Amino acid sequence: MSIIEFFYWLLLLIVSGVGIMRYKKLTLPFKILSCSVLIVFFFNILAKVFSFRYKNNAPILQTESITEYVIYALIYFYLFKNKAIKKVIFASIVILFVFFIINAIFLQPFLKVFPTNIYLPTQILFAIFSLLLFKQMLLYPSKVNIVKQGVFWYNTAMFIYATTMFLNLGLANYYVAHHINDYSLYYFWYFSLYLFHVFIGVSLLTDNKEMLTTYA
Amino acid sequence: MPDGSIPILVLSTAALFASIAGFIIYFIVLYRNRQLKNQQEQEHLQSIFRQEVLKARIEMQEQTLNHVSREIHDNITQVLSFVKLDLAMIGIADDKQKQIKINESRDLIAQAINDLKDLSKSLSFEHITKLGLLKTIEMEVNRLNKSGIVKAEITTDGEMAGLGEQRELVLFRIFQEAVNNMLKHAGATHFKISLQYYPELFNLTLEDDGIGFSDEVSGKGDGAGLRNMENRAALIGAIAKINSAPGKGCVIKVSLNPLQQQLYIDEDHSNSIG
Repeated sequence: MSIIEFFYWLLLLIVSGVGIMRYKKLTLPFKILSCSVLIVFFFNILAKVFSFRYKNNAPILQTESITEYVIYALIYFYLFKNKAIKKVIFASIVILFVFFIINAIFLQPFLKVFPTNIYLPTQILFAIFSLLLFKQMLLYPSKVNIVKQGVFWYNTAMFIYATTMFLNLGLANYYVAHHINDYSLYYFWYFSLYLFHVFIGVSLLTDNKEMLTTYA
Repeated sequence: MPDGSIPILVLSTAALFASIAGFIIYFIVLYRNRQLKNQQEQEHLQSIFRQEVLKARIEMQEQTLNHVSREIHDNITQVLSFVKLDLAMIGIADDKQKQIKINESRDLIAQAINDLKDLSKSLSFEHITKLGLLKTIEMEVNRLNKSGIVKAEITTDGEMAGLGEQRELVLFRIFQEAVNNMLKHAGATHFKISLQYYPELFNLTLEDDGIGFSDEVSGKGDGAGLRNMENRAALIGAIAKINSAPGKGCVIKVSLNPLQQQLYIDEDHSNSIG
């Protein structure tokens, strides 16, 4: 395990701890979020075990891709007020799940390939959801200072994650296609993950179900 | 690895993070401005609402004092004048007539005492706070029936629940305004009041069989009172609908969702009897 991975796991542990400690004070979407950090941690352990034992962690990454989407989309489902957007999110979960099965069977085999076909559309959807949530925040501003709002930090985390991962995956595809072997992308990937989980940690620290006042 | 790859990666990453940071900062500034704007709007609405409540209280007091003044002039003064007359005639009456006059005077004084008791009750301006909307309207209905000008009846439906003191005060002022209009202009003989309490809906319906009015009248200067009712209803998050046509009386319906909170109304929702 490299030092960058070790610190990433440590960060996941800390954020999971924050989620568990503040679980009772969190609103429903952030309860789901705190569980998601534990699930990501669990997938990381499994991926490591699989790569050591079977020299292949593709099945774990395949499962993780759709699980992450379902969880984060579900969080957005609870954060949005607009019923039409909620329906779109629900439909996207169903459509992506069907696509995941088709992709795992015909396009990017479940046991062999990293599922970029799943990651790319999910990152686009996350970016769209985050922009829509920013819009909703502007339409229904809360009395609470923005930096004390869990929803702001979560949405910022998702926005950064979606946009940087999209760039990351695009560059990774380019590097693979051109047989480029460069570690800078690996660091960029982890830097994005660090940033994402730090913001998720802040969102779990700031969310509080007793602070839900909005203006009329 | 091609030499150009690293600068391209660094540049694109830096550009991406700079754009994200710029976007987030712009969003924070925009959000803060929206917060300030909303705060100012809410303070403004709160101030208008307080002024309206104060105005409604003053109007209620004026109306009560007018009523007391009229009652003293038209009723109690008359009764006491009869008593005075009776007593003046006692000096020239025989024993049998004296007894009749004394009995008459006693009855009249008893009547005056009762009227004064009623008046002293109505002098309390805070009925709505103490008794709630329904009981206060019931008292007004009794008063209307007693006057003999109009036959008023009240019906209720659903489980009675408090709507909040300030909301009830405003609703009562709308009721008073409707009664005033009916007495002054409508020439009605029947007046029906209906209060419907449902979990997510409260309806106050006021219906008279007076001469009614056209839309033109309600739109002109004469309709200021009607517009006032609509504006006041809007202040408490209610909708007032006024339907009338010449010769067909008038129906005023005020609908309100009791669960919908108006943030500028600074009151405890459960502080009223209902």
